[in-house]
Amino acid sequence: MSTKSIRIKRYLPEQADEAYWQRYEVPVDDSTSLLDALTHIKETLDSSLSYRWSCRMAICGSCGVMVNGMPKLGCKTFLRNYPADIRIEPLAHFPVRRDLMVDMEVFLEHLAAVKPYLIDTAAENTEPYRQTPTQLARYKQFANCINCGLCYSACPQFGLNPEFLGPAAIALAHRYNLDSRDQGKAQRMAELNRHEGVWSCTFVGFCSEVCPKHVDPAAAVNQGKVEAAKHTLIALFKG
Amino acid sequence: MQKSSDALPPLKRTWWLKHRYFVAYMVREATVLPLLFFAACLIAGMIALLRSDAAWSSWLEFMSAAPVLMLNGLALVASLYHAWTFFQLFPRVMPLRIAGRTLPSQAIVAGQWAGVVLVLLLFVWLFTGGAR
Repeated sequence: MSTKSIRIKRYLPEQADEAYWQRYEVPVDDSTSLLDALTHIKETLDSSLSYRWSCRMAICGSCGVMVNGMPKLGCKTFLRNYPADIRIEPLAHFPVRRDLMVDMEVFLEHLAAVKPYLIDTAAENTEPYRQTPTQLARYKQFANCINCGLCYSACPQFGLNPEFLGPAAIALAHRYNLDSRDQGKAQRMAELNRHEGVWSCTFVGFCSEVCPKHVDPAAAVNQGKVEAAKHTLIALFKG
Repeated sequence: MQKSSDALPPLKRTWWLKHRYFVAYMVREATVLPLLFFAACLIAGMIALLRSDAAWSSWLEFMSAAPVLMLNGLALVASLYHAWTFFQLFPRVMPLRIAGRTLPSQAIVAGQWAGVVLVLLLFVWLFTGGAR
């Protein structure tokens, strides 16, 4: 088993005001993920290291970090694909709380703002919903989001203006807007069709590059622009 | 509303130099600069046409100067590059569905290039006197 050098950006607010780099040598083989390496550091080299993780299989979305400047899931990143020097930082564009742990409050606020749940105006309806495979196929891709926040770290518009709803929240709004069981589109449009909604996006497209679940949030946001434009036009003629 | 984002330092103006993906994005957006020059040339040409024969012929002379030809050549290359990036993004923004089936992206991209070729052929035909 060989070893690889990992540099981690440490931030311990009770010890120092500034973040600093610390180097660790970790044993690696072909199956070592970055999350395995972080666990090895925590358990055998330095128990003071803080990072988030849970499922180890790219479904919980907890272990997002920057790997050589790219937002990645630790569990889905294998050290065999990297040269000797690997730089690990907390996710960009979020306030850092400690080491690799960021404060995702802004992201959660934006998710809640778009009402990401089925809105049925006939609330007394007790019948089970029916949906055809064709209707499911319309939104299925956008339902694969695991809320890991990598797209927010990839998005320069969110970095420039954290008020921007951002890729994942808009993709989720779009997912519900496309759902045949949902009737909440008009409510979500108020949030989507404003400067900090879909119109802050300039289609850089990096969010879709880094998405570990191939949701293609950039497509969702820009399809949202078409919907928002239609919404404005219809409102104009209705007066 | 975003209390937690207050602690963040704003992104530096050089953010786009950090990653080649962002550089490619900025190149795509910058294709508008030579196109602005070309648009200004066209407007100047129309004004010259309205003013006098002399203004028109001096505009023609201006347009055939080497630096102007080079800039407008650059504008052509830039607009073709922009079209190439735009055509690839188009099927993601407007996925076309025919009879419940999504049209494959490659078909949409090919369709757009076919449109470009058609317009080019139309102009070649017009400029070679086809309309007469």
